[in-house]
Amino acid sequence: MSRKVVEIAERRLSLSNLEKDLYPSYGFTKAHVLEYYGRIAGFILPHLQDRALTLKRYPEGVEKAFFFEKRCPSHHPAWAKTAEIRGDNGERMTVCLVNDLETLIWVANLASLELHVPLARAGSPETPDSLVFDLDPGEQADILHCARVALILRDLLSRLRLTTYVKTSGQKGLHVYVPLNCKETTFEDTKTFSKAVAVIMQKNYPDLVTAKMAKEHRKAKVFINWSQNDASKTMICVYSLRAREKPTVSFPLAWGELENLAGRRDPEKFQIIHAEAIHRAETMGDLFREVLVKKQRLPHL
Amino acid sequence: MAGGTIWKGSIHFGDTNVPVKLHAAIKEERIQFHLLHRRDQVKLRQQMICAYEKKPVPTEAQTKGFEVEDGKYILVDPAELEQTAPEGSRMIEVHEFVKTGQIDPIFLGHVYYLEPDTYTEGYNSLVAALQEMDAEGICTWTMRKRSYLGSLQASGKILRLSTLRYADEVIPVKSLKLQEIPMSERELKIGSDLINQLTAPFQPQKFENEHQKKLQKLIEKKARGEKIAVLRPRLLKPTASDQLLQALEASLKKVA
Amino acid sequence: MAVQGIWSGTISFSLVAIPVQLVKAIAPGRVSFRLLHSKDYSPLARRMFCPEQETMVPPDEIIRGYEIGPDRYIPITDEELESVSPERSRTIEIVEFIDMAEVDSIYFDHPYYLVPLKGGEKSYRLLVEVMRRTNKAGLAKFVLAEREYLVAVKSTEGALTLTTLHYSEEILPDEDVSPQEGKIDAAEKSRMKKSIKEMMADFNPEKYADERREKIVDLLKKKAKEEATVEAPEIAEEEGEGPADLIAALEEIMRQVKKSR
Repeated sequence: MSRKVVEIAERRLSLSNLEKDLYPSYGFTKAHVLEYYGRIAGFILPHLQDRALTLKRYPEGVEKAFFFEKRCPSHHPAWAKTAEIRGDNGERMTVCLVNDLETLIWVANLASLELHVPLARAGSPETPDSLVFDLDPGEQADILHCARVALILRDLLSRLRLTTYVKTSGQKGLHVYVPLNCKETTFEDTKTFSKAVAVIMQKNYPDLVTAKMAKEHRKAKVFINWSQNDASKTMICVYSLRAREKPTVSFPLAWGELENLAGRRDPEKFQIIHAEAIHRAETMGDLFREVLVKKQRLPHL
Repeated sequence: MAGGTIWKGSIHFGDTNVPVKLHAAIKEERIQFHLLHRRDQVKLRQQMICAYEKKPVPTEAQTKGFEVEDGKYILVDPAELEQTAPEGSRMIEVHEFVKTGQIDPIFLGHVYYLEPDTYTEGYNSLVAALQEMDAEGICTWTMRKRSYLGSLQASGKILRLSTLRYADEVIPVKSLKLQEIPMSERELKIGSDLINQLTAPFQPQKFENEHQKKLQKLIEKKARGEKIAVLRPRLLKPTASDQLLQALEASLKKVA
Repeated sequence: MAVQGIWSGTISFSLVAIPVQLVKAIAPGRVSFRLLHSKDYSPLARRMFCPEQETMVPPDEIIRGYEIGPDRYIPITDEELESVSPERSRTIEIVEFIDMAEVDSIYFDHPYYLVPLKGGEKSYRLLVEVMRRTNKAGLAKFVLAEREYLVAVKSTEGALTLTTLHYSEEILPDEDVSPQEGKIDAAEKSRMKKSIKEMMADFNPEKYADERREKIVDLLKKKAKEEATVEAPEIAEEEGEGPADLIAALEEIMRQVKKSR
């Protein structure tokens, strides 16, 4: 087994299994994964900052079994930042906070390809700093349907004077974010609001949208998963890799680009893979930066 | 000038009867705004909308109900409510007297000036008696079909009547669920010193409603079609509790 | 019951700043009735209505306007209002302390409570305790919506109360209602003083109840026993959707979105 010791910010990290092919049908090794996270670090770190990370580890690659880890592995390096939070059942647990490059690389080295984080920071677990509409296409629906729904949502919310941002899930869906960043808003508020929006969308576009979780309602429709607005839920972090056949990335799109893509009728065009992600981020900057800072209030609550 | 006569009555306790006229003591002049529809800038009207039909309901199709449980109402006729109105009377009945300053401002409502009505000597005597006893009277009266609780005070040469809130209208401090936090004597001592240093006599004339003037300017500017620079409100950084003592000490140094 | 905040910001004195929320101190004791539609007993909701477009207007489409002529208004946005005194719209800065005993009660207008927000608990407690000991109140000015208030912040039973004060220009002169002559009947005065002395007590507001309210409550109790209640129709669609205000606003906006697409 190959090992390599690297030093980042005067911290020594032992990297293992670098030649392991984690995306075998595409040919993308652990070394590639580490390189991706190393280069995207400047963009992804602000979005991971102070959030309880859920690791999704693929030690044998994307075609084999994976496991979710909410707890920070007990063998974590002493310098890795952690937080104590209460889990779903009220039990205390220690979670990882990925606040710096060395922790990001350590986590990636655990073959945690996907980085999932809650909508709230660990210090204020009841206060989401954004609201999300997780657009999930059912059977016989695809990302083009999601794009239509996202564009309607953008128009609807802008009339409520809420600015929205969209990213691909890196799989088949889209995620529409409403930055809040105000400490008065609770998950109860975001859930009430997102549910009401989902219900109204379903009422007005019954052939396109459902607000119901049950599979039978979702066929050929886009499920607006409002229930993600919950303290116990996590979302794939923007700029995180996804464990699909190819190393796709959950990547932000400008609304204008989404409009263009929606007109081109090719679902594959929505997918942004690792190299393109780095290239775009480096040339266009972080299109999701406002999600972290823009202060907005939900009306009518 | 005090406002016109609002109501006439007679102060009564023991074998004292002093007839008085009520006048408004406060006049608030504020810039009035209307509510407009953003889109077309049409002035909006209030309407009562039926939650079921989602349509406006005219006054004649409205009725009063008291909710006994969720969605269940007892209908109440205006005539029935009329019967509960207190009997009209002209009596301001004083029930007891308390030392002035005993009533927490939280209970105080509207203030009226009382003008002597026909019997000035009695009025003057009551002003003097209250001042010499350093007392105010707790009284009740009925005005325009409502019963009021109030306090009768002497101020300078005149009597004033201030309405008081009923005890159950004041939300108890208990319900705020405030935390008890122990304080060190040192923090309290420095805090008290600081407050004493910053104490000045109460001179309300010093404070003008500058805002009203600024608001007037804003309106004028907009009327001329000038653009208004939107300024962000100033936000202060809260003092961390472990830095409280330091902040107090620094404050004291600043004012000393 | 969670307290509902009217405003949140910071209260400061000298170099100490405390994050706080302004909450109600008064709950009107009147028995509250609902207005119902006599046809279906459905409760009525107060809404703003645009007579031009004959539609209900959601709160975020409402702006303030200053009337300059018949049907002519200068629109003013909330942001512009906040810009009038940006230093006072999120901060209650105590400029000086005063002795409560010096304040003529005629100045008091409306009371509120201040409660500490996260991180402010300790400084809040300090201010409560120190103002209690010194019997002082803090004077400050702050802006809420389109008004600037002069306020007195004091300690009451372990909490901070904020009472808005009238500006002295709002207090009407009393000369014209003052007695025109100063004659006193000495015998009458001493009789009055004797009565006052006999009737001295400690202020105890609990002793007094609103008789009208008690009568209404009695009436309602009697009616509840004797008469059947009416029932509002189930508003099925609305169940689980969310707050009626929000749903109504979204419906309206959805209509516009569909029109413009």
